[in-house]
Amino acid sequence: MFLRLALSCALLAGTLTAPRTAPAQAAPIPPLPSPGASSGAPAETTAAQPGTAPCNAPYRIDKTLPNGARWQLCWEMRNVEGLTLTRVVYTPRNQRPIAVLRSTSLAQIHVPYDRGRPRYHDIGSLGYTAIPLRAADCPLGERREQFVCVTTRARGHAYLKSVPDQPNLTAQGRDLVVFAAFQVGWYTYLAEWAFSDDGAITPRVGATGSLAGFTTTPEHGWPIGVGDDRFEASHTHNIFWRLDFDVAGRADDVVEQYDFSGSGTANRRLERTTFSTEAKAVSRPMRWWRVVDRKVRNADGHRVSWEINNSDSAQYRGPADEAFTRADLYVTDYRSCERLASVNPTPQCAKSVDRYTNGERLTDPVLWVNVGYHHVPRDEDADPMPSHWQGFRITPRDVTAKNPY
Amino acid sequence: MGRRLIVTAIAGAGVAVVAGALLFVSGEQGSQAARSAPRMPAREDPLTGQEVAQATAIASAGSRSHLAAGRIKLLYVERDDDKDTSDRRRADAYLYDYGSDRLIVRTVDLGRGTVVRETTARGVQPPPSKEEETTAAGLLLAHPGYGKVAREAYTRAGGGQLGSAADLGLRGLIFTPSGEKGPARQCEVHRCLRLFVRLPDGTWLDTSRLVVDLSAKKIHTLEW
Repeated sequence: MFLRLALSCALLAGTLTAPRTAPAQAAPIPPLPSPGASSGAPAETTAAQPGTAPCNAPYRIDKTLPNGARWQLCWEMRNVEGLTLTRVVYTPRNQRPIAVLRSTSLAQIHVPYDRGRPRYHDIGSLGYTAIPLRAADCPLGERREQFVCVTTRARGHAYLKSVPDQPNLTAQGRDLVVFAAFQVGWYTYLAEWAFSDDGAITPRVGATGSLAGFTTTPEHGWPIGVGDDRFEASHTHNIFWRLDFDVAGRADDVVEQYDFSGSGTANRRLERTTFSTEAKAVSRPMRWWRVVDRKVRNADGHRVSWEINNSDSAQYRGPADEAFTRADLYVTDYRSCERLASVNPTPQCAKSVDRYTNGERLTDPVLWVNVGYHHVPRDEDADPMPSHWQGFRITPRDVTAKNPY
Repeated sequence: MGRRLIVTAIAGAGVAVVAGALLFVSGEQGSQAARSAPRMPAREDPLTGQEVAQATAIASAGSRSHLAAGRIKLLYVERDDDKDTSDRRRADAYLYDYGSDRLIVRTVDLGRGTVVRETTARGVQPPPSKEEETTAAGLLLAHPGYGKVAREAYTRAGGGQLGSAADLGLRGLIFTPSGEKGPARQCEVHRCLRLFVRLPDGTWLDTSRLVVDLSAKKIHTLEW
């Protein structure tokens, strides 16, 4: 038997909007308190003990890197988004843990060809396309349920400084790396998140596998193979990531944009824009953003934040019916049904991220980062095509008061 | 585009219907469900196989005749990760009604054993299920021209004589019209796929101009 209650749109809006804490004045707080202490959100604990961790093995990742930095997170292979990381918590050496991301995943891989056609939205049922990984695919790592590799790798010098009459001060950095591979048509996409021992996060995607094999005219491609007869089609991969930051819990997160005016003069002046409502932004060479918690401060009394830098994008801009390509960063207020940047699969939300951005006041910001890579094929792309990578950087800003090493 | 939201409470639709509704569980769903030994899942764990079956049963209970007749297809079940209800284990069942070209998403509260929300819309297309990919390939093979091309390519690639669509390596993506003229514009509302077909030698059939319209059971050829 069914009991159906049709609700009005007004009531719907009420039920889908969680009560939120009103903005408050920032106040000094002792260094890195437990994330829940100031936010009202459940506190993340350092211990990955059964019953207290948000996920169980094999979905729990808990890694302490050689310098003492610790990353804790959960993973899930979702049908639509594929590899999804949740409850990401960073603990700097000798510090208390701080929550960073509630969840992050790919939100679209849009592939328009230079000739105008075809145009693909490559996130289908991404989870179904995950490739079982073999030991060689996950060097020095651990495979989780065949599809996810959890490993660590060197990332070069963390620092190097000469000291008179003494050995150099030097340290090698290391990353925790979590990745999965997806077969989408002829492409293999490697979706990877690197969590560094200095608190940085690098999401990136590698495209490998095979070229499409589409031939085109000289102005839309490049001759590959012998001679000048066969022009392989140039195209762009516009990759979107969805990042639900909950810095030290859900409450009190604010997104700021930083610009430095004075181009053509000797001076540069810092200009801060705080997004109070949903926003679209384009990248510029010296522009960056940060998600800052208004209440939690480090030992120096500075607000803790994570900075987003997206200056390496090809900045593809599509036609009017692909308006989701016309910004490099979107900031939206949290809605669970806003999942993909285009071809969103849920009925009660809009279809694309540009439509999500409709002037709502920001109380729980979600960031959507769009990074484009324009692929003009070359002879070296012969099968199996070498990986080409695209991504961006998320770096801690004032999370620790000193060098995290 | 014709959107509405209905909150549905199903009294008494619980575990009793699990066994019957296993009929509708996609064989592929298990690949996404948690594979560890049965135990109480933590709140961020993927759905267990048992939870997928339970959600399938509860979400299907109101559409059994349409499911049995093939008018409605269960696409898959996804864990609901709404952080406003993160203390609850909930699942979203995606169903597509080909009779009215309408997506139905039913959110199941696994603890209570009820559907707690139903949303529907026309023109909103979640990614295809494995079954839909096979159906699309069947339509391709049944096409007088493209079917012949596909079978010949399969044989040339060393696969011998093609038996059925299930023998092909398939992947489908939703096709979204972007300035197309002609019948492909129907895909604004119809459920349409681009289909990738992998041949036995690892190469791919060129399907870049083909769109399989599952709603109309037709193949559209894109012009450019």
